[in-house]
Amino acid sequence: MTQFRPNREVVVVGVGLHPFGRFRGKDLATLAREAVVEALKDCGVRWRDIPVAYFGHVYYQGMSVGETALASLGLTGIPIVNVENACSSGSTAFWQAYWGITSGVFDLALAFGAEKVPGGPVTVTAADSPDRFIGGDHMMAGYALRMRRYMEENGATPSALAQVSVKARQNASLNPYAHRKETFTVEDVLSSRPIADPLTLYQCCPTSEGSAAAVLCARDALRSYGLDESRAIRVIAASLTSGNYNGRGSDHSAFSPYRTEPAALAAYEMSGVGPEDVDLVQVHDAATIGELQQIESLQLTPKGEAWRATVEGRTALTGDIPVNTDGGLLAMGHPFGATGIRMVHETVTQLRGEAGARQVNNPRVGVAQCSGAGDVTTVQIFAR
Amino acid sequence: MPTYSRKSLAPVDPRRLRLNDPDGSSGTLLGMRCLNCEVCVFGEAIFCQACSSDNLESVDLSSCGILYSYTIVRVPPEGWPGPVPYVLGEVELPEGPHVLAEVIDIEHSDLRVGLEVRLALEPVQAGDSGPTLMVYKWAPSDVTQALPQEGSP
Repeated sequence: MTQFRPNREVVVVGVGLHPFGRFRGKDLATLAREAVVEALKDCGVRWRDIPVAYFGHVYYQGMSVGETALASLGLTGIPIVNVENACSSGSTAFWQAYWGITSGVFDLALAFGAEKVPGGPVTVTAADSPDRFIGGDHMMAGYALRMRRYMEENGATPSALAQVSVKARQNASLNPYAHRKETFTVEDVLSSRPIADPLTLYQCCPTSEGSAAAVLCARDALRSYGLDESRAIRVIAASLTSGNYNGRGSDHSAFSPYRTEPAALAAYEMSGVGPEDVDLVQVHDAATIGELQQIESLQLTPKGEAWRATVEGRTALTGDIPVNTDGGLLAMGHPFGATGIRMVHETVTQLRGEAGARQVNNPRVGVAQCSGAGDVTTVQIFAR
Repeated sequence: MPTYSRKSLAPVDPRRLRLNDPDGSSGTLLGMRCLNCEVCVFGEAIFCQACSSDNLESVDLSSCGILYSYTIVRVPPEGWPGPVPYVLGEVELPEGPHVLAEVIDIEHSDLRVGLEVRLALEPVQAGDSGPTLMVYKWAPSDVTQALPQEGSP
């Protein structure tokens, strides 16, 4: 794989978030704009100084929603790109913003994302696809297939899987932006409504609405825009991959539980840091099994052992590899286009030491990882 | 089970399934094999997934495989035309590809990873007015049926 070499150092200067949940009566563009305003306020960048914007979203709710969302801030004539890359749409928008700056084309860039996900099981294909007849197009069923196999191969217990959700809710209870803040027990998780055995309702992320935004800047341009370097967080890697041949002769994502590995390797190489340097991580926990296999893909534990790390409390806020410190998809909720940038928001907030009750102890390096249909995977590494 | 006219039924996806009889009572899963690196995939391919060669040949895939994983789907996706719950199985074929499809004719308590299964075809109508297509599914196989096909590992 060709990997472009970054030229200019890129930093995140501002982040903004709209709470995740259900907001009937607020349209997608309004939802998206509110996070953008928060991100601009966070860093003090003037809207008219933003030269380019990338907007992640998935569900069709009108054309050019990115343009509509930003129009009320002022029509400045900048390029605005609407990005659809499944669950990695927001993180792909961030990836584009990063490369726009590091390549030298832009000094500043806005990455934002928003979604109003419909209720019910998430499908990937068009309504007339053969996969709808065959029964395989069901996101959580795909995770359930991975989970059954993982438990079988590694001896992971149902309660170990459930602990991923318990930990997510504990973290979210400290986060006013989360969709689900009520804590529960392993027993509550296992006795919740079955969705696709062995996955129960509380092991599946809620379908949510929400938005997130980030303002990126070239480090060498901070002074000319009057920005505060002390709150800037460095982006030391941003990788994006799609599916590789996985030995199973199909492109169904249920078949690629470790699809994040190539993006993780590329990001570690680009950044010069390794798994041993990572102080906190946000991963794509659309279902409990997802968190475990993403942790393993990032080499934070050996393969087949992330469930043990979870049971031992190593992935909790007080553990040695805190995972999904804001509640993750399982408790923050999952508005597709916003999720990748929500992870950036949490990582930046933690690295700044501004995470309040859920602050982990003195982190220096944070990782954000998203993956979605098409085996689209992003890994970003941040450092202060 | 409702009765269907099996005359002129079409396969759910002609790139993945060929019907061998006019009434659709038997069929064959279709794949492509790379003549450069030997990798075999389910369904159509123009270039090899593994090595990008375009030197591919069409192959008939085995009608028996092993249940690699399974789930009992309690909340179906929108548009699912079958009963609820249904069993979804990921089946590993001797040639390598994994094929996702419904597993039928089995008690939930008999499901286990490693179970030998065989291809089964059933007509499925989409909605009240949609087309009826022959859909490939998996059913438990007895031991003699599940033995590897000639020439496979």
